Amino acid sequence: MIKSPGDLANELHELPPSSAINLKIVSDSYFDAIRGIVDIFANKKNLNVIYITVAIPSHSIIDVLKILEIDLTNIYFVDCVSHIMIGGAKKYKNVLYVESPTMLENIMLKVEYLIRKSEGKNNVIVLDAINALGIHNNMKILSEFLHIFINNLRAKDAYSMVFTMEEFSTDEISNMMKLVCDTTITIGGGGDG
Amino acid sequence: MPSENIIERERCVTGIDGLDNILNGGIPRGNTILFTGSCGTGKTTLSLEFLVHGALADENSLFVSVTESSDKLTTNVIPYDFFEESLIKTGKLAFVDMPVIYERLGLTNVEFSLEDVDTLVRALGNLVDELSVKRLVIDSITSVCYRLKTEEKIREFILKIGKALSNRGCTSLLISEISPSADRYSLYGVEEAIADGIVLMGNYERRGDLLRTLQVVKMRGTTHSRAKYVLDLTPAGVLLVPLLKGGGGI
Ligand SMILES: Nc1ncnc2c1ncn2[C@@H]1O[C@H](COP(=O)(O)OP(=O)(O)OP(=O)(O)O)[C@@H](O)[C@H]1O
Ligand SMILES: [Mg+2]
Repeated sequence: MIKSPGDLANELHELPPSSAINLKIVSDSYFDAIRGIVDIFANKKNLNVIYITVAIPSHSIIDVLKILEIDLTNIYFVDCVSHIMIGGAKKYKNVLYVESPTMLENIMLKVEYLIRKSEGKNNVIVLDAINALGIHNNMKILSEFLHIFINNLRAKDAYSMVFTMEEFSTDEISNMMKLVCDTTITIGGGGDG
Repeated sequence: MPSENIIERERCVTGIDGLDNILNGGIPRGNTILFTGSCGTGKTTLSLEFLVHGALADENSLFVSVTESSDKLTTNVIPYDFFEESLIKTGKLAFVDMPVIYERLGLTNVEFSLEDVDTLVRALGNLVDELSVKRLVIDSITSVCYRLKTEEKIREFILKIGKALSNRGCTSLLISEISPSADRYSLYGVEEAIADGIVLMGNYERRGDLLRTLQVVKMRGTTHSRAKYVLDLTPAGVLLVPLLKGGGGI
């Protein structure tokens, strides 16, 4: 079990590209996880970050990153939330929108596009979070998606970072994650992981 | 034995990665493909990209436009990341308006005769020779067929144009417009039987979501996936991923 963003980054640093990581987040460690990956780890490895938001609109995450004084230059978002919210989304540069979190193919397509645009630079793909996708999709299509998606990313030497919110996780989700990810890391919480 | 033939057939690499993967390397060179789908499914966009990649690979590419003016089409290729203006300046990528060809040939009748069909096929063949065209798009063949009216003349036209183009080693996309509810791949049903390949573009509805899809239904001279793919039109070109089945039925 990991406590700080620095420790998380160090742990990730040891993993080879094309790793698929199940990152279990205990609720109060959400910001630590973001800082560890998006800031410390990505900077150390000189990676582009492709951040898929399913639970929280991208503009809220951007606000958080600004408060944490994290440089946004190499961070791109695939936002699956803002389109379904009433009133629509204010459009940001660096944000691509997917109409609905049920359009799993379109999530893959937007990520594919951003990887193409990254021109040689390696990528870390953050999926925030699998539980939120689980609300909108049945388990069959979700595990099919995760398999294809992560295998595609492996083939492109990208790091896949799938967030699981510990409090909201189910046995079904845990089993699926064990199947597709090669490493599980827990951040936060009191006990030992 | 057929497998040997499949390996030997030279490919026209479309340059659209997803499509080349589906086709195990590209369209067998010289094939005449029916590119079919209802309106707004991306037929024109995809065929333009096919030509831009051709021109970039040093293959002269020609777009014969029947319905839209070619000026407008030129502006459609400019947003591509990989587009270079020199392609048009050097003539590697060329546009011709079909109505101009009709006029030059004196094809003024609303309904073409069998002789008119021969005249048109010969003219297109000559054009391909003159410009050394290796990739051709006719958008749309359905609009040409409106002028032919009878099944006999349509059959004659598709057979002859296909032969003329493949003899010249020219790989061609014939764009076909169908209604979303159509139970066949072409308006007259004739075109699909004669073409060497059929690529179907459409919309797929899954619980209220509408996805753009592409499916290779037939392609002579190669093995290929027959699965449905979901596509996105981007400045980096068309991107494709497999349609998720979700373990569900229809
Ligand atoms: N570069 C692009 N990026 C995003 N969307 C695009 C792009 N180019 C075209 N589109 C969208 O794709 C749609 C389909 O385009 P296209 O003209 O290729 O379809 P089509 O099948 O040829 O239609 P038609 O039967 O009307 O000729 C357009 O209506 C447009 O909204
Ligand atoms: Mg069109």
